[in-house]
Amino acid sequence: MMWDQYNIGLLCVLIAGVIGFAALARETDDLHRLLLLDLVEITALGVIALLGTDLAEALVLPGLTVGIAELLALSQIYITKEGLKERPVRGLNIEVIQMADAPLIISGFLVVYGLVLSGFTGGGVAGLGLVFYFMSRGYKEDLNMLEMASGISWAIWIFAFFVFMFLPQYWFIALMGAAVGIVLKVTVKMSLVGTMWGEHRD
Amino acid sequence: MINLIGGVPLYVLEFGDELVYLTPYTITLFLLALTFTVLVLISRPEKQVDIAFGGDAYRTKEISVSEMRFRRFMAIACGLATMGAMVTGDIFNFTLFTAMVGITNVGIVAAVKSPHVQDAAYQYGLVSLSATIPLFGGAAVYAATTGSLSMIELMKGTLPSVPLIAKGMLMLGVIGEGMAPFYAAKAEMFRAPGAPYVIMCSLSSLLIFLRVVEIVMLG
Repeated sequence: MMWDQYNIGLLCVLIAGVIGFAALARETDDLHRLLLLDLVEITALGVIALLGTDLAEALVLPGLTVGIAELLALSQIYITKEGLKERPVRGLNIEVIQMADAPLIISGFLVVYGLVLSGFTGGGVAGLGLVFYFMSRGYKEDLNMLEMASGISWAIWIFAFFVFMFLPQYWFIALMGAAVGIVLKVTVKMSLVGTMWGEHRD
Repeated sequence: MINLIGGVPLYVLEFGDELVYLTPYTITLFLLALTFTVLVLISRPEKQVDIAFGGDAYRTKEISVSEMRFRRFMAIACGLATMGAMVTGDIFNFTLFTAMVGITNVGIVAAVKSPHVQDAAYQYGLVSLSATIPLFGGAAVYAATTGSLSMIELMKGTLPSVPLIAKGMLMLGVIGEGMAPFYAAKAEMFRAPGAPYVIMCSLSSLLIFLRVVEIVMLG
């Protein structure tokens, strides 16, 4: 039964992938091809997610990270290749979002919910809240502080892993350290992605 | 079965479920990657020579220090990723290392500010991005059908056999990331000056291709 569902799911995802690649073969604009590839990339995550186990979750995250890294690298090459100049971008230019309190409430909710979830998923949710807030309000903070927080939380995470390896009897403190470290790290990393519009801002 | 190519593992380093094993085959590939990374580390970049057609005039291209540094860094990162892909005993780790080889290959050439090279690097980047789909997909089907990603478990022969589609997807992904047997497709990228770094692109893709041949023979 489960095996049937897996096969049907795999078939659906593969058909979606074939449709994506067909679109890719017809498209000639470089930027559109990049966007289409991002779309096709999702099907790869679909194939992994079909496993439906803890292992799948552990494999989707690195897959997603690699995909985002390649996408960022390619967009940077595209900007250089086309000789595009940096344009100042200051958040979402929508009056309702900039003036209302809604972004604050929504991002506050997301951050609190992310902290409750903790771990990688929680970091993602909390980071999304911060990205939304920074995008709607425009950026005013000092990036160096955020980068430092990211580095320190990463160090906590690694330290927790060493406790797991060498002092397994203190696994609970290591678990808490790893959870807090990764939630801070992912949150900060995602909010950096949300605020980095370019290297030179005034 | 695996004795055909890999030989019996001489050494297995267990690190949780991420394990590293060494066979005569993987040791050879690892040493090749290591040697070349050291060469990249210590050598200076060559200067490409342009010759004016129909005359005696020629000039060498200038390579700025910052560009050279970035490309050397990328080449070393590529070497490290290749070394990781050579010795890892976990199929998903292998796919991640392979994807990293793809990214660094693009990085090695993309630092050159020539329109031809940038354009070629972009197109190659598109191919390597699309190759991550069969690559990770193949690893996922491996896990789904056999229940394990460990190559040591696969070579024991007790697990269900791996379907051909999974092997095909893994192979397709590696070919896309490194363009392994189709080096002509990379020719435009090699307009980039800087000999030791550019050759790292070829060497790394050759090595990951040789390794995936071994992996496909397992299980």
